[in-house]
Amino acid sequence: MASVDSQPRFGQSVKGLLSDKVGSCSGDVIALTRQVLKGSRSQELLGQAARNMVIQEDTILHSEDSLRKMSIITTHLQYQQEAIQKNVEHSKNLQDQLRHLLK
Amino acid sequence: MAAIGDEASAMDNSARASAAQSAALNPASSGGGSSHVEAPEEAAATPPVAPKKPHTNSDGGVETAEEAVEPAEPDINELCTDMFEKMAIFLQGELTATCEDYRLLENMNKLTSLKYMEMKDISINISRNLQDLNNKYASLQPYLDQINQIEEQVSSLEQAAYKLDGYSKKLEARFKKLEKR
Repeated sequence: MASVDSQPRFGQSVKGLLSDKVGSCSGDVIALTRQVLKGSRSQELLGQAARNMVIQEDTILHSEDSLRKMSIITTHLQYQQEAIQKNVEHSKNLQDQLRHLLK
Repeated sequence: MAAIGDEASAMDNSARASAAQSAALNPASSGGGSSHVEAPEEAAATPPVAPKKPHTNSDGGVETAEEAVEPAEPDINELCTDMFEKMAIFLQGELTATCEDYRLLENMNKLTSLKYMEMKDISINISRNLQDLNNKYASLQPYLDQINQIEEQVSSLEQAAYKLDGYSKKLEARFKKLEKR
């Protein structure tokens, strides 16, 4: 490309040559930037990461829902344990009465 | 290149002046026959007024060439500045797009980590509550054994009640038999 540009273009003014050169340099800079972005493979990696995140999100939400249900069930178990604790304190008297009955 | 062009035009003017002087000094010697020769010389000495056309000048054996130049635009600096600014904005936009994608991914990861931290807190609470529950149920175990004993005693009491009921029925039957006699 440089050799083509260095060849003299007869019949073309300096202004035209300069504008062509500036345009080609601009195009080269743009192409270089795009090549740098393409070489970094950032689009592929980001796309793959976004896809994995979308797949994972459903699982995460389900897990969170399950954990919240577990915490509610644990709270209910605590209430039931407190009720059992209150009621089993009467069992000692009951056992003494039964022992007397069976004597 | 414009400076060289100016110098060349100055030299050209001086050459024309010298040619005109020489032509004026030797009008008679040239005569009519050489008028045709001089005419082309004058024509050669006086090139058409086209500063843009390149031509050669000879002064002391040194040939110089003037390059065709066009007058520079007065706002060329502004145009160049504008061009470079727009180029910079374009390149910045190209790179910013990828940066924004990375920022989006970073935000998504942060939100996911926050969610995992919440789930961790919930899990820790559940674990602590279940451990307390296990300890309390372990402390309830003697009571549960008592309940089992009570249940056994109640079942033996029930057996005794059934036996008593059967014995009382036998007694009633014998009493009635004796009463009939």
